[in-house]
This record gives sequence, structure tokens and C-alpha cells, in this order.
Amino acid sequence: MNAPLSPRQNVLRRLRKDRAAVIAFWILVFLLAMALFAPNFNEYTYRQQMLQEDYVNMPPRVQALKWIPLFNGRAVLKARPLSSLSDTAKYPEGCVIRTFNERTNRGITVVDAEVDYYLYKGADESVNFWFGTDTLGRDIWTRVWRGTRISLLIAFVSVLLDLLIGTAYGAVCGYYGGKRDLILMRIAEVVQAIPNVVLCTLMILLMGGGTGTMIVALACRGWTGTAGLVRAQFLRFKNREYVLAAKEMGASDARLMRRHILPNAAGPIITRTVMAVPSAVFAEAFLSYIGLGVPAPEPSLGNLLAEAQSVLGLYPTQTLFPALIISLLMIAFHLLANGLRDALDPNEY
Amino acid sequence: MLRYVLKRLGLMVLTLFVIMTLCFFVIRLMPGSPFDDPENSPALQALLEEKHHLNEPVPVQYYYFWRDIAADGYWGVSLKIEPNVPVWQVLRDRIPVTLSLNLMSLLIAIPFGILAGAASARFRKRLPDHLIGILTVLFISVPSFVFASGLQYLLGYRGPFAIIYNSTGTPGEKLFSLLLPVLALSFWPVATICRYLRGELLENMNADYMLLARAKGLSEAQSISRHAFRNSMVPLVNVIVPLITGTLTGSLVVEKIFSVPGVGGIMTQALAARDYWLVMAVLVFYSLISLGTVLLMDLLYGVIDPRIRLAGKREVTG
Repeated sequence: MNAPLSPRQNVLRRLRKDRAAVIAFWILVFLLAMALFAPNFNEYTYRQQMLQEDYVNMPPRVQALKWIPLFNGRAVLKARPLSSLSDTAKYPEGCVIRTFNERTNRGITVVDAEVDYYLYKGADESVNFWFGTDTLGRDIWTRVWRGTRISLLIAFVSVLLDLLIGTAYGAVCGYYGGKRDLILMRIAEVVQAIPNVVLCTLMILLMGGGTGTMIVALACRGWTGTAGLVRAQFLRFKNREYVLAAKEMGASDARLMRRHILPNAAGPIITRTVMAVPSAVFAEAFLSYIGLGVPAPEPSLGNLLAEAQSVLGLYPTQTLFPALIISLLMIAFHLLANGLRDALDPNEY
Repeated sequence: MLRYVLKRLGLMVLTLFVIMTLCFFVIRLMPGSPFDDPENSPALQALLEEKHHLNEPVPVQYYYFWRDIAADGYWGVSLKIEPNVPVWQVLRDRIPVTLSLNLMSLLIAIPFGILAGAASARFRKRLPDHLIGILTVLFISVPSFVFASGLQYLLGYRGPFAIIYNSTGTPGEKLFSLLLPVLALSFWPVATICRYLRGELLENMNADYMLLARAKGLSEAQSISRHAFRNSMVPLVNVIVPLITGTLTGSLVVEKIFSVPGVGGIMTQALAARDYWLVMAVLVFYSLISLGTVLLMDLLYGVIDPRIRLAGKREVTG
């Protein structure tokens, strides 16, 4: 016979059966590890501009993945005079891979040339920008992962704040009830009615952009939802027999709340918290995008996307990598949250 | 009912008051003056500050602020973007653009979302449900601005569609150039409606009356469309508020990406230029839309469900 399972083991067992949630979990572990360590994988820093070497808008190149067109370090130079291509001072030996689209423009024969961009810029095999460089000659690999780190930091800390404030607030409202509850909930309702964009904008205008400000700005409305949830659970459980029994035996208010009532609210709170992380990632990216986020040169996923957007037509890879990472992050968090919700509340279909 | 309406209305006015007060003090308490400009002589600066009452104590300014709005409907003028043009006049041409962009994406999203949700519930745990499920997660998770960039590159730069908003063309060309932003904004609402409707439908399909519907000889499709579907539509009101505010938020950035001359673009500019009263007007606009939607939905709820009306409030969700 199997030993009986604790509730936690039960939830974990159900969660492990959800293939999507398990994959999402490992994707998140991978992204988190990359965010922590990947910025140090190469010698470039997030703010170092390689302008002397003119390494601006370099295409991505990874030696081991050269067979993939995305990572072969080649680029197309448009409308170059055909005669100039043999000038080795400008086009080093062997850098022109192929020419196409030959046409005559005002009597001069011009072609589009696919070149080995690294050779073209005079960089040897040892120079590799895995994700390329941006318009200021900064290494995108380092910036993307550092940006991921900052976005995640903002999201995690703001959600943690939201959780702490919301739980305490909701617990007080639900446990004591009465006039205190009425007034506190009215305040929460007013805060909740202010649109997120408006509240965040005001907070950031007031305190100036920065990582700390972003955290506070994102947390200052999120807690109302948690508070409502915790309050509802407290109202439901505070008059249960076991709570009354503990009270009769002299347990203090704080102990009753912490030990006897709060654990009942754990399930919905966990689900909500995990759901709140992708929302915070989105909100951060969104605010950075409209110029309210972390100030330059510090990267964040939103900053990177906003910077890359202006050269999207010319250098799409600069948008591709941050876009992929933010999408992957959001998808993984959603899947994990869905899995957790189902595992914690098996009654829902 | 009247009491309920008044209560909701009162809360809305209170919230708006709080927002505007917050706006005012945030703007006023920021260091520096909007007229700090080396080109302005001290005398000119003093004159400008006097004109805008900036030389007086903040509480007095706060009084003037409300008096101007109440007496003359004067919300201030744009300071930097379009100097000396009243803020609402700056926004007058832009609000319809933003609203039509958002309404179009919602109008496209609603039928597709309902179709997808119904199909998903009908073919539960079979291939269509799984496919729709994957797409739903994708569309809910991936931010609208990522979709916007992707569409702009793949269909705009690499395809036949307009890359940015065509503000000088014929109405047809304008509409055509709005296609990509509308599309980018509609993915999220489609998925949200679909997921919500699927859940509701599945719940209703297990209800007793569905058994009766099938017992009296209705086909599966008939019983779903006539019974389960109708009952599932009522709670759909729940998602409308987040849908509208969410799309509006997304359109801030999507407008910027496609250079759509809407409120989003002006907000970004006004924030960058610290054009305070314009920022305030934009924020009030967003608040009004959001509060108005919430109020409308509360009232609708009151009409739909008399229990809410009598109790005077509903549990705040989401």
C-alpha cells in the first residue's frame, strides 16, 4: 500500500502529470539561469560601444551554428557599384559571397551583394557576436540577457511586494470585519479603479525612472486583487469550528490568522501570484516601451524592443531575440500558472 | 435601482477626483518649472509663471485648477507639443483614431473568439480543442507589441501591407493601413474570449437542463446553440472590462509602432517632453474610458441580475 500523501505531495504529483506545466517549468529554469549567468559568457559588457572598430549593427554569428542562415554572420549590401567590389581595400579578399539583382542605375552597373559582414568589417574568426550588435555597437547577447535579468527582477520583487501587502491588508479586513473592513475595502476599491497605466505613469513621474520605482509602481495597484482574494477566504474560514476551538484555547489573533486561516487561502494565492508575474513582465516592457522604464544604458526587455523597433526593417534580428525571450517567458509563466491552478483545484473539470 | 446607480456613480466620481488630485500634485511637486529654458529671460519666465499661476502656493494653484475647470471648462494648454493650444483641442482629432482602432479590433475579436470558444467546447479533448488551446495560450501570452513588430516585418516590409499609418491617403487607404495594427491588437481579445467562453460552455454543458434538451430530441449542436450558449453569454460581461482596458493599453504601444496619430502617440511624446497638462488630459481620458466601462458593466449587471442590484454591490473580481 502507498503511504498517504500530504496535500503538498498531492498537488506536486498532479502538477507533474501536466506535461505542458513541466516543460514550462524547465523553460523558466533555463531562462532564469541564462538571465543570471549568460551576460558573463563573453567578454563584452552591456554598455561597451565598439565604435572604433565600427562593429555597428553586426549580424549574429555563432561559429558552431554557422550552417543556420541566421547565425552565419552574413548580410546583404544593397546597390553597390559592381566595379567597386573588386577593390580589396573596401571589400577584403573573399568577403563577397555572391552578387545578385544586377541592374543599371544612371549608367553604373550596381548589384546587391551578400557579404561575410565580419570579414567586410575586418574582424577575424575570433570575433563573434552571438546575437549581433545594436546601432550603438553594443553586444546584443549581453544586453538581452541582462535585460531579461532586470525585467525578471522587477517582476519578481513587485509581485512579492504585492503578495505581502495584499495578504496583510486582506487578512486584516477579513478577520476583523466591521467598520475597519468597510473603510479599508473602499480605499482598495478606489485604488483598483485607477487604470494601471495611469497609476504607473504617475508613480514614475513622481519618483523618476529606475528599477526601484518600477517595482513600486507595479506593486502599488496589484495588491488590491490579492487583498480581495485573501479577504474572501478569511470571511469564509474565520468562523469554522477549528478556528473557534483554537481561539477558545487562547490563541492570539496573529496566530489564528497565520496558522489556522491563512493556509486555506494558499491555493488561490499561489495561482494568482504566478499569474501576476507575466503581467508584471508585460507591464514593465510596456512602460519601458513608452519611455517610462529603466533609464538607458541599462537594458530591459521593453527597452531593447523599443530600440530595435526603429531599425526593424533593416536589422530584424535586433528585434527577434528580445521578442523571442519575452514571448517564451510569458508563455511559460502562463502554462505553469494554468497547471498550478488545475493541480490546486482539481474540482475544476 | 436608483440607489444602486447613484452609489456606483458616486464611486466613479470619487475615483476620478482622486486621480485628478494625484495628477495635479505629482505634476506640481516635480522640481523645476516647465519654462526653465535658457532662452527665456528671467522677466519672461516670471511673466509666464504668473500667467499660469505657477508663482503662487500649491494649495492656491490647486484651487485655481478646479475653479478653471468648473467655471470655464479650462483644462490648461499644451506647453511643448503644440504650445498654447488647449489640451482637449490637441486630443480632439486623436481620440476618434484611437477609439476606432480599438473598437475595430474588438469587433473583429468578438465573433472569432466566440466561434473558437464554441468549437473548443464542442470538440472537447479532441484535435480542434487542442489546436485552439495552443493558439489561445500563444495569443494570451505574447504581448501585442511583439505581434505588431512581427506583423510589420513579415507583412509590411516583406509583404504587400502598409508599414505605417497612411495619414494622407484616401479613406480606403487609411483603413487599409490600419489593418496590421488592428490585427495585432485583436489576438489577445480573441484568445481571452475564447478561453472564457470555453470554460463557461463546459460548465453549462453538464447542467441538468442540457440533459433535458437532449432527452427531448435536440441534436448536440442544437442544444449547445439554444441552451448552453445563451447561458454562457451572460457572464461574458465579466471579461468585457478587462478586454477594453487591456486593448487600450496595448494600443498605446501599437500606435507608436505603426505611427498611428492616436492618443497613444501623443502620450509618449507628452511624457518625453514633460508636457504636463497634456499628460494630465491623456490620463483623464484613459481613466474616463476605464471608469465608464466599469460603470456600464455594473449597471448591466444590475439589469441582468436583480440580486446584485438589491445588495448594492458585487464582489470585485480580477
